[in-house]
Amino acid sequence: MSQKINLRVWLKIPDAEAATVKNTLERRMGFADLLADVKKERLFSIEVDSGDLQELAGVFARELVNENKESHKVLIDELKFEEGYIPVKVTLHIEDGEAISTRDRLRNRLGFKNVVDVKKATIWKLYLKGENQERVAREIAERLLINPHKDSYEVLSQSEILFEAAR
Amino acid sequence: MRIAVMQFPGTNCEHETLVAVKAVGMNGEIFRWNRSAGELSGFDGYFIPGGFAYQDRVRAGAIASKEPVMDALREEAAAGKPIIGICNGFQILVEAGLLPGTGKIDMALAQNVMVSKGQIVRRGYYCDWVNLRHEAPSRRCSGSFLVERGALMRIPIAHGEGNLVTTTPELMQKLNDEEQVVFRYCDKNGRVINEFPVNVNGSTESIAGICNPEGNVLGMMPHPERSFFAWQLPAFDPKKGRPDEPGPGRRVFESMKRYIEVNA
Repeated sequence: MSQKINLRVWLKIPDAEAATVKNTLERRMGFADLLADVKKERLFSIEVDSGDLQELAGVFARELVNENKESHKVLIDELKFEEGYIPVKVTLHIEDGEAISTRDRLRNRLGFKNVVDVKKATIWKLYLKGENQERVAREIAERLLINPHKDSYEVLSQSEILFEAAR
Repeated sequence: MRIAVMQFPGTNCEHETLVAVKAVGMNGEIFRWNRSAGELSGFDGYFIPGGFAYQDRVRAGAIASKEPVMDALREEAAAGKPIIGICNGFQILVEAGLLPGTGKIDMALAQNVMVSKGQIVRRGYYCDWVNLRHEAPSRRCSGSFLVERGALMRIPIAHGEGNLVTTTPELMQKLNDEEQVVFRYCDKNGRVINEFPVNVNGSTESIAGICNPEGNVLGMMPHPERSFFAWQLPAFDPKKGRPDEPGPGRRVFESMKRYIEVNA
């Protein structure tokens, strides 16, 4: 039975892309009154069929995280986020070449044959003000964070996070 | 005849594009994204050159498409003025809903995926000289107004996201039926072979450029400003050729000029 190592990775230096998204939402798209902040993470979901998961997670983190500029957090078979923001998960629904390259690197170049699959996502952390935050998050996702012809998104509410953890 | 060559933070082909605009006898100037958008109405045509506007943050063209100047260009496009987006300019036009021209985002220029014999042979950024076949009849589109159907052009590409994809089932049929497909990648004999290296980026139906239904807005991934003069072509021999000899990309700029003259 395979298990999933979720690796949340974020910049510990200023994230210019997140700043640009915040700026665009506030100054160009009318979200100034609804938005407090925007942060961003990369998410690697690495499926493995054997091995010590904590040990593997440490090895994978050394390969996939640049500690000079990034921090990370490992979650085994669960995906949890802190309170205070709406996490929006954006993935490609067309082939994700970077995820495939990462899988092949781990399997074929670094010899981790127990890696079954790798999926990548961007987690946009939307710090919102006011009511209907999930609706606002969806609007932001659909108007800026995705192009529906290649991207999908998912607003990870607390219940969905727990549901995913239980799967 | 005044032409605005748009410049966003990260645009990197505006000067070559301006040289080409001027070389065919049009008056051009670089128009910075943070100038008053209202000034754009004083121009007769527009180029959105290539580069990496806003460093391709979120995805190529997404942030630039939200700038006020794009709202102004939408109005100028509706008034029938020509707009040509090259490479990143094409990506911006797609994200702004100006192409394929339904007013909403009807397609994406996704990451390149090079496929040969059913196998993915490489992905991502790629630059090379490619052959294009002009698919539309002449006068159909502002940027190929003077180009005959079936004409071949050798023009360079340089991009990581030029793979036209859509989840709108009827879009490809519409683009073909309404002759909105302007350029396809082909081999040196004009044969469209829907795999790498002829189809350089995995684009659906080998599409390299499309126009809107009215024909005044064109987006193309290849760079005509980089093959404007014959000396820019790899085969150019300075002992045999003149430095000012025209290259194939010149036809795109001459076409816009003629389009404006005809529609004035």
